[in-house]
Amino acid sequence: MDQLTIETIDQIIEWIMVAKLDRLDLKSVRFADPYALLLLHLLILNREELGNPIDISWPQTPKVNRWMNAMGIAVNGSSMDAPSLRDLESTLQPITRIENESGIGSVVDGFHHRLADRYPLTESSRRALIAVMIELFQNIPHHSDATGTVADPHGIAAMQDYEDSIFLAVADKGIGLSASLGLRDGYGGLSDAGALDVVFHQGVSRFDDPGRGGELQRIADLVRSWDGVFALRTGRALYYFDSRGGDVYDVPAFPGVQLGLRLPRRVLI
Amino acid sequence: MVIMQIEQFRIAQFGPRLGTRMEGEQAREQLIALLRSLPDTGQVRISLEGIDVLSTSFADELIGKTLHPLTIGEFGERTMILETPALDLADGIDAKLTQRQLAMLCLTKDSWHLIGAQTSAMTETLGLIIEKGTTTAKELAGELGLQMNACVNRVARLAKLHLIRREQIGMSGPQAIYSLHSILTD
Repeated sequence: MDQLTIETIDQIIEWIMVAKLDRLDLKSVRFADPYALLLLHLLILNREELGNPIDISWPQTPKVNRWMNAMGIAVNGSSMDAPSLRDLESTLQPITRIENESGIGSVVDGFHHRLADRYPLTESSRRALIAVMIELFQNIPHHSDATGTVADPHGIAAMQDYEDSIFLAVADKGIGLSASLGLRDGYGGLSDAGALDVVFHQGVSRFDDPGRGGELQRIADLVRSWDGVFALRTGRALYYFDSRGGDVYDVPAFPGVQLGLRLPRRVLI
Repeated sequence: MVIMQIEQFRIAQFGPRLGTRMEGEQAREQLIALLRSLPDTGQVRISLEGIDVLSTSFADELIGKTLHPLTIGEFGERTMILETPALDLADGIDAKLTQRQLAMLCLTKDSWHLIGAQTSAMTETLGLIIEKGTTTAKELAGELGLQMNACVNRVARLAKLHLIRREQIGMSGPQAIYSLHSILTD
């Protein structure tokens, strides 16, 4: 595998979560995106919590190795030292914890400042992006442990820019959409794909309040209007679309909700 | 003519980039306190001046959740109007009011807008009431070319949403007769 991305990370989840492999060979990886990085981070954590850590051979390509380090993944066995200033500068936003609602304002400010320092975003796209971050980040304290049964849902976010796009990823290993919606009367027992359907087509949330819900639907519509890429994974289902279309796909089971947005720079700047 | 006390509520007092539901809930307490401090026909003008970003969640907690009790009479005849330097700043409020089937008058520098759940019939009727300042359903029905019942229904919807103020001035058989007032010109 030479790409660790939104398109390939489910193969790794299959190996680790389903085939229960103890070794993961990433030596050939020459490119990784933030969505895959967050999932890899949660995968490593998940196995550590189970007392069965994964033995990982990290990418040998120095650029990828350094980027992963700078993003906050401890690349064990790396011959590289701590990330250089240049690597830190090329990293847009390392992995950041999202723990409670009261801390979200400062996390969003941090993401916003890093982005604004690098790009003269248009006013409307800058405002829209910040509003998107606020909604996505606060979903973690609102929903990831809504049942009170997860010791550490481990909400995280990261962001990276590329020549043609800006990539925002948000992830947790909490209860997932289906269990969150199951707290609401009439929405129990939904499959993961069924949960995606009611979230994206009916704007439903776990709260029985007409003002709640609809945020993910609105964000998906915004990304679609920008010709971006949208991926939201929960449990065994992935809702993915790009400018050519999309669908809900079966994926190997993984706890929580993970989301990736790849936004074309041409619509933001 | 009722003289209306108008107070401004600047959202930017809570910061330029807002925010979470928790932040909205805290701001709502202050907005409700201001509403309650006014006379029964008072008005709060919620200003977005100085705001950089307003999320839909914050908008719902602050405005959606205050407008709902207002429309069921919990704050008497009081009204709320939004003031914004740019209409796109109010997008989140518009989305949440639509979701809640509520609507609100929004003032920009040059004009008024109706945001939230609206129909062209509502906007047309409201526009005429604002233009006239004070009128009656009979007068509106004539100008809009509507049956009286249809016009009364439109007016009742606007009054329920506190987008206009109604004052009973008499009876016609079993039906109350109201004078209708723009909440922009009182």
